[in-house]
Amino acid sequence: MKEKNLEQKTAIEEKNGIGREPGSVQQEKATATETPARPEAPAAAAAPPGTKERRFRQTDLPAHFIERRKHPRISTEQPPPPAPPCLDDYAPIIGRPELDEIHFLARQLRGKTVKMVNSTAVGGGVAEILNRLIPLMNELEIHTRWDVITGGNDFYEVTKGFHNALHGGDYNLTQQIKDIFMSYNEQNRQRMEFAEDLVVIHDPQPAGLIRSRSPKHGRWIWRCHIDLSNPHQGVWDFLKPMIEQYDAAIFSAPAFTRQLSIPQYLFYPSIDPLSEKNRELPEAYIDKVCDDFGIDRSRPVITQISRFDRLKDPVGVIEAYKLVKKYVDCQLVLAGGGATDDPEGAAVLQEVMEAAGDDPDVIILNLPPWSALEINALQRASTVIVQKSLKEGFGLTVTEGLWKEKPVVAGAVGGIPTQIIHKLTGILVHSVEGCAYQIRYLLTHPELAAQLGKHGREHAKENFLITVNLKRWLLLFQILLGMAKPHVTA
Amino acid sequence: MATAPQLPATRTRWARSPFYFNSASHLLRIGREKATTLQELLEAIRTCAESSIFQHTFQTLEEHHFIGEGFSNDFSHWAFASCNEVGLAERLAAIDVREFTSIAKLRERLILIMEEYLQRNPRAATRTAMEPFYLMASDLVVVPTPYVARNLEEFADGLRKVSIHGIYYHFIDARLRLKLNNNDFSVWLEQELDLAQVADRLNRIDIYTSTLEGVRRGILKIIEAEIGRA
Repeated sequence: MKEKNLEQKTAIEEKNGIGREPGSVQQEKATATETPARPEAPAAAAAPPGTKERRFRQTDLPAHFIERRKHPRISTEQPPPPAPPCLDDYAPIIGRPELDEIHFLARQLRGKTVKMVNSTAVGGGVAEILNRLIPLMNELEIHTRWDVITGGNDFYEVTKGFHNALHGGDYNLTQQIKDIFMSYNEQNRQRMEFAEDLVVIHDPQPAGLIRSRSPKHGRWIWRCHIDLSNPHQGVWDFLKPMIEQYDAAIFSAPAFTRQLSIPQYLFYPSIDPLSEKNRELPEAYIDKVCDDFGIDRSRPVITQISRFDRLKDPVGVIEAYKLVKKYVDCQLVLAGGGATDDPEGAAVLQEVMEAAGDDPDVIILNLPPWSALEINALQRASTVIVQKSLKEGFGLTVTEGLWKEKPVVAGAVGGIPTQIIHKLTGILVHSVEGCAYQIRYLLTHPELAAQLGKHGREHAKENFLITVNLKRWLLLFQILLGMAKPHVTA
Repeated sequence: MATAPQLPATRTRWARSPFYFNSASHLLRIGREKATTLQELLEAIRTCAESSIFQHTFQTLEEHHFIGEGFSNDFSHWAFASCNEVGLAERLAAIDVREFTSIAKLRERLILIMEEYLQRNPRAATRTAMEPFYLMASDLVVVPTPYVARNLEEFADGLRKVSIHGIYYHFIDARLRLKLNNNDFSVWLEQELDLAQVADRLNRIDIYTSTLEGVRRGILKIIEAEIGRA
């Protein structure tokens, strides 16, 4: 059986300073005033091969806008990832008192050991979070290492099936499938040591490692990143007895949980305000990105960032834009990925192109995965950000919009209502017509748009930043290790 | 940031005991109850742990400290945004947590308002809400800070430096700890510095028409005025 992830794990260990002295993570600091370095991007097709070039109707738009809309300059080279920041870099964002509280909470945990285990070292949200979180924990002298389980293709087929089934899909759970799952968990269990004070197992794939839990040492936490609100009963019944052996479980939203006999905590997913996707950008760079994509900054820009997926309802967004356009001269940017290597994504992109028709003010961008800076710039150039999903996980693109102080109009699904308090931190919608009306209202009431943006940013700062996430981990570790007794005010 | 006026040492009034600024961090626990109708919410309010009532009233004020108006507590917001019961939302929003020194009394008030409303509007009781209400609870851990005050100048300095969670802890959460319609700051000013009037002015700052930063500014304004007067 072919083993995966070994090389990836080594790369991650090097990156996170695992095996080095704590706090030795090297930094390459980037500041808001620096212009992001990018390879000169030649004009590239916005659509995957085989997709027809769009034809625009007659318009008054200057020729260079039309040219860029047909042939946007999309970066073709993946830049090297910047090194993760250190804690002090967050002080200007969260304030010194907040940072002091993090240091205080960490002080009691200094010298404690933590092991994080998941199933992949690269790609996916979990790896992205751990890449940023683990260096911060090590900087606080909480010795944290990250292990990745290994398995053959049969194991990953089973875990992919479990993933879909836990999201409510059909699944034929056989004894053979259960045996494959357990045997790889057992192999990994034999290979790994669990001497740490705290063990955090991410998602269902390594859940069976709980058999290594010693009654005398260590606390075990199951961090579930997926929505369990409507799981396949058979798969959940198989996993549940394992999960209930943990000391605590963590979910991303109250709606994602199941009834369990162990304490359940709420950890919202988080964004890193210093990552390329979210850091402050010089205005000149935002102008350049808009110029590369043919966006006219003198007129309102409505933006939805999401992969080309029907559940994100990009065609519904175009319909809403058309209703808005009757009253307000504006542009729509639909930017995302997933249409180049995914046949379904390519089909959705084609549907989107057809729905956009010959309207030159619908700008469709199929971006490569290394476009974090460009997406950041697009969000910052937007007048209104839309996330009109029909089904959603937590919806981190909403968080990104809130953080950038933009008014966000989004579907009331998944984790979005947690982020958008209707009419206070953004607007929740349930239909194309509702979406169109709310966008129109915000475009014509900039003072309300600004107020929503301001509250949205504060909401993101209080709840959805990586520093808040770090604080939650420190609190949970203290509580589980008996160092902090929760204060009872009632 | 403005600095406190420096006064000659002879004019400084020293506290009998210092004020130690704390802050508080909280971790959200997901409860077992959820409500999809107002009737279910009423049942949940009757039976849930006190820590859940605390979370959705007192604690939520801290979580939404940046909103100066339009947010009072989670029950009210849910009645408005998910159940479209504006009348109920209005009555629930009018509950002022500062009037309560025990969660039991606050629970009684919530139940009374909901019972009255649902008796008058029986169809509202069983109408399914757009989003369920999930009952949560909060594990609060007190975090000491390095800021200590022995006089008004140091007190003002600590107020400027402590995080917004510290302001919440001493000014709002304190009411349940003290079992008084009061806050830590006012108690210290009155008991340790004999400044009863200043203490009273602080206690009358309206937390429902201001953000917590606004509350901080309001407290500082009163303290700085007192320093200037001394």
